[in-house]
Amino acid sequence: MATSFKFKPLTISILLLFLCNAIASSASGSSSTTMHTNNWAILVCTSRFWFNYRHMANTLSLYRTVKRLGIPDERIILMLADDMACNARNKYPAQVFNNENHRLNLYGDNVEVDYRGYEVTVENFLRILTGRHETAVPRSKRLLSDEGSHILLYMTGHGGDEFLKFQDSEELQSHDLADAVKQMKEKRRFKELLIMVDTCQAATLFSQLQSPGVLAIGSSKKGENSYSHHLDSDVGVSVVDRFTFFTLAFFERLNMYDNASLSSLFTSYNPNTLMSTAYYRTDLYQRRLEEVPVTNFFGSVMETIHTDSPYRAFSNRYYRKSKTEMPSDQSGGGNQRALEDSDVLEELADPKLNAIQVGCPLTHTWNTILGRMEKITQIDNFVNCGVVLMFPIVALSSWFSH
Amino acid sequence: MAAASAPTPPSTAEIAEAAEPLPSKLENSEPDCPRKTRPGLKRLALTFTVLFSFLLGLPFLLKSVEIYRSPLPFREIDDLSAAVESIPLQFPCKFRAVFVGTGGSSFDANELSVKIEHQMRKIAAKDSTSCGACSYNSSVSVVIENGADCFRSDNDFNWKCGALSELNKYEDSGEYNDELFDEYLHSLVDESDSRGNGGNVYTMIVVRREGQKDASAVVGKYRHGWIVGRVSEEEAVKKVASVFVKAFVNGGKEEGSISGEFMPVGADGKIVLSFNLLNADPHDWIYDWEFQEIDDNLLAPILKYLKPIADISVESQVLYHTPKSSFSYWDEKLWSYIFTTKDLPFFVNSNEWHLDTSVAAGGRSKILHLVVYVPSATECPLLLQLPNGKISKSNGFISPMWGSVVVWNHAACLNGSKMDTRVRHTISSEDMRKIFEVFIGQLRQLFGLKSKGIFRDTSSGTIRLLTSESGFTEWELDVLSRQHTCFNLLQCTTTLGSLSRLVQSLPRMIIKEEIGEQVRYSLEAAKSALSNVSAGIYDASAVSSRRARSFSEDAFYHPSMMSVSYYSFEHCFAVYSPFFLPVALHVLLAALREWKRYKQESRKFKAWKAKKD
Repeated sequence: MATSFKFKPLTISILLLFLCNAIASSASGSSSTTMHTNNWAILVCTSRFWFNYRHMANTLSLYRTVKRLGIPDERIILMLADDMACNARNKYPAQVFNNENHRLNLYGDNVEVDYRGYEVTVENFLRILTGRHETAVPRSKRLLSDEGSHILLYMTGHGGDEFLKFQDSEELQSHDLADAVKQMKEKRRFKELLIMVDTCQAATLFSQLQSPGVLAIGSSKKGENSYSHHLDSDVGVSVVDRFTFFTLAFFERLNMYDNASLSSLFTSYNPNTLMSTAYYRTDLYQRRLEEVPVTNFFGSVMETIHTDSPYRAFSNRYYRKSKTEMPSDQSGGGNQRALEDSDVLEELADPKLNAIQVGCPLTHTWNTILGRMEKITQIDNFVNCGVVLMFPIVALSSWFSH
Repeated sequence: MAAASAPTPPSTAEIAEAAEPLPSKLENSEPDCPRKTRPGLKRLALTFTVLFSFLLGLPFLLKSVEIYRSPLPFREIDDLSAAVESIPLQFPCKFRAVFVGTGGSSFDANELSVKIEHQMRKIAAKDSTSCGACSYNSSVSVVIENGADCFRSDNDFNWKCGALSELNKYEDSGEYNDELFDEYLHSLVDESDSRGNGGNVYTMIVVRREGQKDASAVVGKYRHGWIVGRVSEEEAVKKVASVFVKAFVNGGKEEGSISGEFMPVGADGKIVLSFNLLNADPHDWIYDWEFQEIDDNLLAPILKYLKPIADISVESQVLYHTPKSSFSYWDEKLWSYIFTTKDLPFFVNSNEWHLDTSVAAGGRSKILHLVVYVPSATECPLLLQLPNGKISKSNGFISPMWGSVVVWNHAACLNGSKMDTRVRHTISSEDMRKIFEVFIGQLRQLFGLKSKGIFRDTSSGTIRLLTSESGFTEWELDVLSRQHTCFNLLQCTTTLGSLSRLVQSLPRMIIKEEIGEQVRYSLEAAKSALSNVSAGIYDASAVSSRRARSFSEDAFYHPSMMSVSYYSFEHCFAVYSPFFLPVALHVLLAALREWKRYKQESRKFKAWKAKKD
């Protein structure tokens, strides 16, 4: 009698669990054929403290690359804790290196940090992405992109399964990032977005993304760590991470006029030298990677249209004789590259969970239950059902305890 | 079921219960323990008081954790998006045509009217009908003048017949002075406007005469155009229809669609024009300019004219040491340095050109950079060569949504004479005027119009557009108003829709009153814009659509709506439940238990009493 009583709430709860499935509404896709007008870069280093030297070196190296290929400071948002160059432990004050040969001082020329020190928080990061700043925030700290912008988002630091640690005190969850990107897409703040993440288990950070037009690459898959490249015995800490090191090596071979494609970048990562698998996600991106030049994200592109003639309106106070014969050149296409892509939301193939066929029946049922639970999209309703169930369970247990 | 009096945590109910002599062997209420006294009410009253105080306190607790959410009018937002997004927004436009001919006409006014309408619909169907176009619903009013006869298709058009008989006044060796003719026609058209709705009526005047070369269409500065010369009636109908559709409705663009890259107005309805004079190498020469003069004389009237479309403010600066980042090569034949259109995307050297230094521009304004580039001595003169080999007349280019660049070679460089490098030279006002003509052309291009005054159409020949001192002609401003109204309304509805979806998806996010107010203002402005659209008032609709968009963007980008800052319901529950849930349940159970005990005791008492009696 007593045992059957104990199982009854459990069965009721499981039944209610399956009854609480709600159907999530799908996001709407929109088709747009906008011109690619400019490139933006958001470079985020989420670590502080001396032993995370390599994260700041990563970010500064990428900053330098992106500037060299043409993106101006006004379109780069750099978030750094910035406590390496003038750190008391730095043997080379005001210098930051990303290689033990010390050939390149990353902190030398013209580094414009937009968010430094304790301003690098999850809230500020999400404010940059969604655009919801206080009115007093200056233009240099805002992401002023429009619907023709391509944005490069690079994040490095310590991360884990579905999160990224910010300054050792807070976390950015993958669903927060996905939500911010969704809001950006709704407000048409970007045309295409490339997310590069260099942390441990990096690929989990963009696992929740749903918005079309997003391309993401992470330095390692779930369960893998990302490693640093080498230790600089002079400075005393590791100075660069492997993923960033190989990315930089790829870009050092390029200049502004080149057109290497993104697929050559993505396939240049060798899992043996990287010691992790660089996983990239293209299911939300419509174009083929072979056709996309890297300068679409890393360089500067200006769509230009030549001006045919001046507007002669201010000198015709005097008599104008004959019909002017204009030459036959129409307003030149110039270097207009009208990119035609329709952002149609594709069905997201569920790569997440494969039911593992194991001999033991209990683990099999457990896995199917887990699988069903993973598929419950309306997680809020499920939790609310659980919360509501708690009342009778607690009531019953306290009744029985007397 | 033993009474767990010892191990339970102390509460008033249990302590009282411990003093109770009878354990709660309540099921075995047999008369071997009869109850001789009425059961007491004290414990019952005590437990129920505690329970009721909890129940009374519950609303206060809920009120204290309540979050303020300003009520947003979701239904109205949905209605607005249904109204705007479902069908492309179209404006009522009225077209009129006058045919003055020496030869006889084979059609009468009504037939001509029908033919013109038919042709217009044919042309308009080929272009994509888009938002901001005219609805081709009203009929075209036609007047035919044939010597002394005058036939009208309807009485709306009060054209004074015979007014064009003094056409000879404007002849000068067979050509016309376009400006004067334009003014004359303007006075005629104005007079003939019986209903006083000068706003959205477009007129074409066809004067057929012999002995001249083939006529081409000319569009004036106001809302009319003309075709004068040798043209057959069929040809005239085709040309008139094409002028109506391609010029008056579509503004001279190839397709009339609104694409976001030619809408440079910022989200708050403002544009900041930043004029920059760039000295590439001050060691060679330094140039300065009298910007204030140009601003007062040339620029201010244009910007005032554009007021319905955008609030435009102007800033200027002079920069030094700003070389460009593309390369040029020396061309012997042209005796100058040449850069081609392939170099244009790399021309702007953003590392050295610090253009975005405006302090006045707010976070959501749009800045357009208009740059005059003075090349250094190593590259002087610098000319732009087009793909067909010719040299560009404007020596400049635009980048949509960014701004434009003009390369100015000063005269001394062209002659090869020496310059005094220690003196700061000022650009002469004649040169400034020329530069500004290019700037105005580029500004027009940034808005999507053409910078040159001719429009070549394969089917009906060329259409010549007259230029206006305000930079934009009246009919071009109409086109811009219509397209901007449409664009702004679409943006407004999508923003409000996103906002309502966001607010509904986060039920525990505080929505400040300010946001609610902005949404209401935005809806109000959008409604007034829509009513202006249906009435055909272009300027007012552009202004109110701009307001609608600006309010909706303010509401959407309000800094308080960050989902990171708010607790979910689970969080609140997890915080409060360890405090209240156990105690509340114990109180409830105690009350129930007391009630049950009281009932049993009073039943025993009644039984004993009945037995006694």
